[in-house]
Amino acid sequence: MEKIKTAKERWMKNFKNSKKRKEFFYTLSGIKLKPLYTPDDVSGDYLEKLGFSGEIPYTRGIYPTMYLGKFWTIRQLAGFGGAEDTASRLKFLIEKGVTGLNITFDYPTLRGFDSDDPRSAGEVGIGGVAIDILDDMEELFKDIPIGRITVSLVACNPVACAAPIYSMYVLTAMKKGVDLSKLDGTIQNDFLMETLVTHAPRMFSPQYSFKVECDIVEYASKNTPKWHGISFVGYNIREAGANAIQECGIVFAHAIAVIEELLERGLKLEEFVPNLSFFFCSHNDFFEEIAKFRAARRVWYKILRERFEAAEKLCRLKFHVQTSGASLRAQEPLNNIVRAAYQALSAVLGGCQSLHVCAFDEPFSIPTETSALVALRTQQILQRETNIPNVIDPLGGSYFVEWLTDEMEERIFDYIEKIESRGGIVKCVEIGWLHRELLNSAMEYEEKVESGEIKLVGEEDEQDIEIFHPPDILEEQKMKLGEFRKRRDPHKLNESVSRLKNACREGENVIPFVMDCLRAKATIGEIVSAFEEVFGTWKPRV
Amino acid sequence: METKSVEKKIKVMIAIPGLDSHWRGAMVIAKQLVKRGMEVVYLGNRFPEEIVSACVQEDPNVLGLSFHSDSYRKLIPEIIKGLRENNLNPVLVVGGSIPKRDYPFLKEVGVHEVFGPGTSFDYIAKRIRELVVPSRMK
Repeated sequence: MEKIKTAKERWMKNFKNSKKRKEFFYTLSGIKLKPLYTPDDVSGDYLEKLGFSGEIPYTRGIYPTMYLGKFWTIRQLAGFGGAEDTASRLKFLIEKGVTGLNITFDYPTLRGFDSDDPRSAGEVGIGGVAIDILDDMEELFKDIPIGRITVSLVACNPVACAAPIYSMYVLTAMKKGVDLSKLDGTIQNDFLMETLVTHAPRMFSPQYSFKVECDIVEYASKNTPKWHGISFVGYNIREAGANAIQECGIVFAHAIAVIEELLERGLKLEEFVPNLSFFFCSHNDFFEEIAKFRAARRVWYKILRERFEAAEKLCRLKFHVQTSGASLRAQEPLNNIVRAAYQALSAVLGGCQSLHVCAFDEPFSIPTETSALVALRTQQILQRETNIPNVIDPLGGSYFVEWLTDEMEERIFDYIEKIESRGGIVKCVEIGWLHRELLNSAMEYEEKVESGEIKLVGEEDEQDIEIFHPPDILEEQKMKLGEFRKRRDPHKLNESVSRLKNACREGENVIPFVMDCLRAKATIGEIVSAFEEVFGTWKPRV
Repeated sequence: METKSVEKKIKVMIAIPGLDSHWRGAMVIAKQLVKRGMEVVYLGNRFPEEIVSACVQEDPNVLGLSFHSDSYRKLIPEIIKGLRENNLNPVLVVGGSIPKRDYPFLKEVGVHEVFGPGTSFDYIAKRIRELVVPSRMK
């Protein structure tokens, strides 16, 4: 060590006297980098900090074999038009080799409006699939073997969307004869999506949104034990402006709050912790992202172990990654293929369980068949052609990566502390503190781009790419809804809706009541209106 | 008619029409325009009729609308119709991820300027100043 130190000092003198592009370099989240890393930059005990894959503290991966046993799941997003349109895209993706499904919903569905509601104007079937009624969900999965392929439902808002969508999915699975104890997949169900990350003309309060979120996790852990009742969203927080540290800090502060709430409700850790999953972003800063994923596993392990005294096997952080849509540019859009490929590589070197690669036309529209295929092929090239997945945690032991992993870990814990010292995650949303945090980070980033401190590649758009236009399904969906409404028993419907409202007032778990409403042929809009009547609405303090 | 005072700040109202949930761009622009000496009323996400009634109340010089979905085809004409019905004629600017090929459509229905992805804040502020001055002279 002494020898290295002396040699390093000599080297440093030489380095300082040489001309450099810039005096100092920083990661995207502002961590100051050294020019070169050596053995004295990493400290601590190997077994304590790194160990082996599948063993605590899981820094090197949560499974013993990682990608040597099974590749990460290729889970590409799809959703547009009506159920039939999306089903045909899903079949196309399955045929081309995706190993998991990932369904997006249009804004009206995400915000709990029926397609024929005037407030849905211009958005029906545009950014995702339009789902209004149980029949739509059944049609979507009619020919999809949901007992065999895992499905992720990007139904983010607990009150406005996840509660009815999860309920519909379970009823659909039952009708298809799928054993609920084996039903595998994920519903996003994150109250931060409803209150912090995405804004809307009608918003539900953090308090109620968090409550319904926990209802879904509780119900799922009891009735669909292999299903992930929540996917803590770091991704969209990042896309809204957060940096990598804030992304993880917010996600873990949130997860802590959910664990505390469910313990309060009388559940045991082993009953619901396996149902918790996570969703992170992979952005442009290649090594920072890898360090983030590795640090996140260690942070989660420590939280569960030290705070909640969970069994070792419960402390594994399972996560999905999506490459950053916000980092993609409208200028020279084909360059986005390269950006997304580097980001995907970060995710894989970081040990993700499943991955979505954004299509290059993301800045303009949802993907065409061509761009969706390039994104899928990006993953297949990584899996089949690069040999990268053949060694576990290949960057483990890199002086730089280990140093950065330690830095990230420390800063993530600091950020969790910041949130908890302000009363916890729900409070921080209620008072608008987190909205300001995201906005300030977004401002900082945009100003750096404007000043040229962050340099982005690509000039004024000369490439004329194809833009996807989803089919116009509004009239068709309106007719379908009209017919559907005629076919139901209004008395039964009213009864079930008033039972749901009552359950909301009494603070009961709402999911069984939502299912009853669906059986009585309620639409999503009607269910969410019932929530609105009892819970009221909320405006963020921004 | 308001007094033509040079010192008077340009009043900009910024909204995200309809159910589009992206707010980062609109909010960042709002802050940047404030930094550049304008008065900004940030409405956030609102339905078209709410935007029109806010304009009736606030009478902004500029209405800035942010879109990350192609609902602008439907919602912008609706908003413009509402403004005209109330004899309002603010400078109308639109920003967000809008393909260039749709700019002519937007200009045709009455949008004064479209700021695509990557437009600098300085340029946006400069264009707004250019557009507002003549309309105030009327």
